[in-house]
Amino acid sequence: MIKVSRKGIVGNGIETIKNLTNLLSSKNYRGSVIFMAEPTNDQRKMLEDICPTKALFSIKENNTMGLDNGKCIMCGYCSEAAPKTIEISNKPAIPAKMRNQMIDYSSPQTLSSKKSYEQIGNELKEKIQKMFGRSLAIRQVDAGSCNGCEIEIAALNNPIYDIERFGMRFVASPRHADVLLVTGPASRNMEIALLRTYEATPSPKIVIAVGACACSGGIFSDTYATTGGIDKVVPVDVYIPGCPPRPELLLQGLLLAVNRLKPENKKQI
Amino acid sequence: MNNTNLENYTKEITNKFSNKITKTYQNNNELHLNVELNDIPKICDYVYKNLNARLATIICSDERKNIGGFVIRYVFEKDGVFIFIVVSTGQNLSFPSIALHIPSATLYEREIKDMFGLIPAGNPDARPLVLHEHWPDEVFPLRKEFELETKTKRQEKEYPFLRVQGEGICEIPVGPVHAGIIEPAHFRFSVLGENIINLETRLFYTHKGMEKLAESMRLDEVLLLSERISGDESVANSSAFCQAIENIAQVEIPKRAKKIRTIFGELERIYNHVGTLAGVSADTSFPFGSARLNILKERLMRLNESISGSRILFGVNRIGGVRCDITAEHKKLILETLNEISGDFDKIIIILKSKSSFMDRLRGTGTISKKIAYDLGTVGIVARCVGIDVDARRDHPYGSYYLHNHKTPQELMQHQIEMEKRTGDALTRFEIRVQEVQDSFDIIRESLDLENDFLFTSIPERLEPFRSSLGWAESHRGQTLHWVMIGENNSIFRYKIRTASFCNWPVIEQAVLNDIVPDFPLVNKSLDLSYSGNDL
Repeated sequence: MIKVSRKGIVGNGIETIKNLTNLLSSKNYRGSVIFMAEPTNDQRKMLEDICPTKALFSIKENNTMGLDNGKCIMCGYCSEAAPKTIEISNKPAIPAKMRNQMIDYSSPQTLSSKKSYEQIGNELKEKIQKMFGRSLAIRQVDAGSCNGCEIEIAALNNPIYDIERFGMRFVASPRHADVLLVTGPASRNMEIALLRTYEATPSPKIVIAVGACACSGGIFSDTYATTGGIDKVVPVDVYIPGCPPRPELLLQGLLLAVNRLKPENKKQI
Repeated sequence: MNNTNLENYTKEITNKFSNKITKTYQNNNELHLNVELNDIPKICDYVYKNLNARLATIICSDERKNIGGFVIRYVFEKDGVFIFIVVSTGQNLSFPSIALHIPSATLYEREIKDMFGLIPAGNPDARPLVLHEHWPDEVFPLRKEFELETKTKRQEKEYPFLRVQGEGICEIPVGPVHAGIIEPAHFRFSVLGENIINLETRLFYTHKGMEKLAESMRLDEVLLLSERISGDESVANSSAFCQAIENIAQVEIPKRAKKIRTIFGELERIYNHVGTLAGVSADTSFPFGSARLNILKERLMRLNESISGSRILFGVNRIGGVRCDITAEHKKLILETLNEISGDFDKIIIILKSKSSFMDRLRGTGTISKKIAYDLGTVGIVARCVGIDVDARRDHPYGSYYLHNHKTPQELMQHQIEMEKRTGDALTRFEIRVQEVQDSFDIIRESLDLENDFLFTSIPERLEPFRSSLGWAESHRGQTLHWVMIGENNSIFRYKIRTASFCNWPVIEQAVLNDIVPDFPLVNKSLDLSYSGNDL
């Protein structure tokens, strides 16, 4: 928990966090699913059936399993069914630029970013200055999310995460935006609106899909009312997994996004 | 107590309509009355006006294979009893509308028309509701023959908004992509100068087909789906779903589980109310208040995380009980954090109340009248802010709320007087929210002495097909009501979700009248409506 002086909420000085690594998440936070052992044949079938979003899948060729972090909603059903094979780690899965980079395999993986929040932020600041001058304008678009991701995105604005200190700001119109932060499985009723928002955003622009729904449709999958992921509607530059992703992870996603911009795009500004 | 009420209502309605009711049966606290199609308006009108029962929801289901027709269930609630007026449409593809008698039925009937293709004869509003204009005619998603994955071809059409015409009147279209970090909807303002003459809301942009999706899922998957009806109401909605299944299976969950559900329900209420108060403060351009309250919200979300593993309390419930325990260590953490937060919360509220510019902005803004709130069938804070005393925690106790409902006659009297004083503006809603946060602190503290029994009880392997039940909970927005009918092989035959937001959305069109356009965000925030919970 955050240490606060007991003067109370009024006059308690700076609440904004500098270093997030030591309080990144509590020990039972459901951050990501990791394989602890190779699943047996029976387990593979059982795990495939039990996973509600089909994030766990068998690989027939070498009798192993894959986990698509872009589909996983951290329900933990798999680790309850096979506690020795699968564990829930409190480290969140990391954002990726390509959809297939989000897949883990049942051979042990090391996934952690040791960067502190401040480091990530500063790194981000440099890149943004190169690409967009001094600031990055973000436009959030809800394309049918359950509003869980909105809570976390809105948290970036609170005094604790305070995204504005890194030169990033949420703007009111896509015409002012460099980045579109899109949530939800892209409902059919929002498809046209999302497309028009994308077209209204000036180039160079970045689209970030936030949350399992935006990456793959998540639990809402691909039905008559959804399109099964933001990338079915507009090109996506970065995928941020999670249900919902933590605010720290959103910041990391933004960093990846800016890195992706090619230098020649700068001339268009 | 409920049983005597149940008997009384059975007698009263059957005496009045003895020759019209074809079948009567009881299911827990539900009274089911089967009637003929043409008698619907008369009987519903009687139940609504003479018994003073509230229309809770209208449920349609496609039971053509079983009984040869669509079945519509009109659900009224009164004194802890749910009165179901059940009718089968047979070969008909239309049913008589009750919207002219009961205004809140309008939206339910339009929803049935979109999803099942049944025409509500006599409903004055023939426009589509859930499915937008791109959706082809004659395709109805909740009919059984419709495949979940069907991709329909888009068609070009325009939605007819109500036109207000006259000298100096102009239209302001807003959305579906808004200026802030909020969910999508379209608002069409007609303004004269700065005053709002008319507002029309167009929702259902986030429609994800949840009710249809549930029919293809296992029960434990539907539980995950129910948590995601509206992310910030996850505990309330999943509790309601679990209760519906537990009622069907006729199991009682352990006492420890009941208390844990109560604690998580109240933790959810606190963090959301604090967030809404922060939003109200931001919308009055008072960033100090919103910044301080947002700090508290973040601390509460971290508390959520340390106990449940999710910042917004996903994965708390399971059918038959709860998934996460509250250990002695958690108990200590909850008590410490809440003590700290309740002190800080009171300090901020004192500051907010002392700022005249803040209070003036709220006073008299977004006022709704008691009659309108009643006619539109509002629930939760939106109803309580005009003195309509509804609260599912007290009216239909679930979890361990029966432990917290005891009031002395004097307290009851004071409560009644307090209710009469409420004026229905943004300030009243602000004050009620503050009060509810403080009440929630108390409820959690009282609930923390957990029994030493189990976290969950097992439910029968196979549930009896075509049994049905309601489940309910009071989220921070108000009553959420879920109706589940089990199909063959433990599948879901029909899952009807009605959240508080569905009842409360229509009121915003009335609340903003004669206010100025810049007040709209404030009114919207003070009503605190979920878009996803409405659109499903």
